[in-house]
This record gives sequence, C-alpha cells and structure tokens, in this order.
Amino acid sequence: MSLGKEMGTQAGEKGGRMLSLSVDGKSVQVREGAFVLEAARAAGVEIPTLCHHPALEPYGGCRLCLVDVTRPEWGGWCKLVIACQFPAEEGLLVHTATERVVETRRVVLDLLLARCPETPLVQELARRHGIEQTSYVANPEPTDCILCALCTRVCDHLGISAIATVNRGIGREVAPPWGEAPPDCIGCLACAEICPTSCIPYETSEGSRTIWGKTFEMLRCTRCGRAHVTVAEADFFAGRGGVPRSYFELCDACKRKEMAATFVKLSRGAAGFSVGA
Amino acid sequence: MEMIYKVSIERCIGCGKCELACAFAHGSEGSPAKTRINIFHRGPEVGTPVVCFQCGDAACAAICPTHAIVRNERTGAFEVDEGRCILCRMCIPACPFGNMLWDDAYHRVAKCDLCGGDPKCVPFCPTGALVYVPAAEAKRRPEPLVREAV
Repeated sequence: MSLGKEMGTQAGEKGGRMLSLSVDGKSVQVREGAFVLEAARAAGVEIPTLCHHPALEPYGGCRLCLVDVTRPEWGGWCKLVIACQFPAEEGLLVHTATERVVETRRVVLDLLLARCPETPLVQELARRHGIEQTSYVANPEPTDCILCALCTRVCDHLGISAIATVNRGIGREVAPPWGEAPPDCIGCLACAEICPTSCIPYETSEGSRTIWGKTFEMLRCTRCGRAHVTVAEADFFAGRGGVPRSYFELCDACKRKEMAATFVKLSRGAAGFSVGA
Repeated sequence: MEMIYKVSIERCIGCGKCELACAFAHGSEGSPAKTRINIFHRGPEVGTPVVCFQCGDAACAAICPTHAIVRNERTGAFEVDEGRCILCRMCIPACPFGNMLWDDAYHRVAKCDLCGGDPKCVPFCPTGALVYVPAAEAKRRPEPLVREAV
C-alpha cells in the first residue's frame, strides 16, 4: 500500500517555489501552481463558493468566487477573474470586495435565486448579499440543483463516471446516461453526500440501497449479518491501495471484537503474564 | 514521533472511562457509543481496549480516494482532513481491525487521532492500561496489575 500524492493543487504542500501576492492588501505566500482562491483563504479573506471542494479539481461553475486582479504595471487596469481557476502569480494584486466584484456577484446570485427560488442554501447566500427576492422571473419549476457538478466530479474522481451533466441551456441537468439506471454506478452515495443542497434522492436500508433508479444488493458481515456496504462498492474498491477484498467480509464492529480476542490470545501466550478471566 | 500510545490489556479493568473521555473530547454528546476506543469486556472488571494502531502502512489511508487521511508527522497519528473527505466511507470496511468508525451524530468518519498529541483518554485511565510514553519506555512489558489492590 503506497500513498500516491498525485493531487497537487493544495496550498502548503511540500516542494515548489513560493509566490508572494497581495489579497485585499494582505501579503500572502502560496506554492507555485496554486490558485488565487487558495491564496485568499491563506490570507484569511473569505470568498463565497458553491462548486469548490478541496479534494476535487477546480471547476469554475458557480462564478461566485470572482475577484478583481491587477498588477502595478497595468496602470490601473484590472480584470474580473474567478479565483478558483486563476493561477496565483508573483506580485499579483487581488481585490475581493471592489464595487464591481460585489455587484457582479450579486447578479450571479440573483440569477441563481431565479433558478432555485426555494433552495435554502441559495436563499441564505443571496440574503447575505442583500437579495431577498430575485429580480428576474423565478423558475416556475423550482429545482434544488445548482449545477455545481460536485456530484459528477466526485464520481469522475472516483473513476466511476456514472453520472454527468446532460443537455444545454435551461435544459441542463445531472443525469445518468439516457436517464436509465447507470450501469457503472456502485451505490457509494458520494454524489448524494457531496451535494450542497442535498437534492439527490436515495434510499438505504439493511436490505438494499437505491440511487439513480438502480437498486443495489448490500454486502453482509459474514459474522453478524449487518449490511455495511454495497456488493458493487466492495468489488470496485477491493484491490485499491492494496486493500484485499477479504477485508470487506466483516463489519467494523465484528473486526474489533476479533481484534480483542486476538489480543487476549497473544497476551496469554506471553510467559508470566495473566490477563485475568 | 517521540511518544508512543501504549495499550496494556493486562491492566484494563474495563471501567469505560477512556470511552467516555474520548466521546467528550471529540464531540458534545459524551455518550460512550460515540467513542473511538472500544472496550470489550471479557469478564467482570476485565476488559480489552481496541483502538487505532496508527499502522505503518495504513489501509484506511491507502484506499482513500482523496488522500484525506494523512499522517501527522509530529504525533504519528493518521488524521482525517474533513475538508477533503467526500464521505464515501470506504476507509471503514478497509480497516482490517475495525478502528475506522462512522460518527452518525456529526455525520463524519472518525478515528483515533491521539487528540493531536495529548490523548485525552490517558489521564482518565485509573490503572495505566493506557499510557502515552517515550518510545524507549513503550518497549517495556507492562507490569501485571494486582487486581486485589485496585
């Protein structure tokens, strides 16, 4: 089992040149290859995001993290960029709360509220930016999906890619291929767990689990019979990182019990030591 | 990693104080069910505490698809970076010893992180079954407990 560290987008990881930049007047250092969002967070400047996740590649979907960037030699010219995908540069001056940034972010939130007028997360975020009601026509078919694509990206990241965004424009949505039960889905629920508005429905019980219209058989602990993961999950993850399929046979509680028994046995074997009853 | 968290089942009286200390240290419930150290009772006043070994080659960290379980070089403990965790929970069945747990109250995976180098269970153990000692000292066999004296 080796720990591959191929994910290189996080601030503060070892190696690489360090860059100095300024965020709202605070100077901050980040590793080369980091994005402006990381620099801002390292400087303690809060930037709202909906589609960002530290473990996933930046996506630039929600457009909420936009900031103004400029350089001293640009003679006062500046540009609006999204912080999550704009690479940090040496000497870059980042402004996160200029009138232009605040106003543009309000438009983005106003539009998002028009799409999702009944979603508490969007309502709360809009309210914090001074928007009580959308100034556009509210979606007559309200949805909770903000199209942040965290679900599809986490599925891609796991190497499964059972779901994707489909269609374009107002018809865009997250769905399995052809809207049918996705053949590649393993029922891990990572999509439902990562969804910031909890809008991916699923059902899970001792007997079975259903998500995206696909029902999964649960793997039962061979000792106590408790269902702990889906069979498809165990099959998919077995072998990863050198973890054998046999590790999935017992549930965690039974494994602890077995471990306790092993300790007692080993201790009894040690000469001159008593472990009691 | 100068200090070693050492468990001596020979000295455990199964009082459950470590479980309670753990539950309080990691959440507000203080329910023994929320603990990351689990005692198995094998008779009256004899217990076997089972807790994460902080493996040299840890299955939980190896299977984690987002590298959210990382060893803290200072303490030697594997810690869960909750910001990176995607809650796929694969670390739970991957641990061959059952020491990766699901914390339903806080909706997160949970494991012993040695409380960042100050394990809160240790001062609550009345018999020294749990100690946090320098590595050289940890090698020594534990003294058997004189149970009548407790």
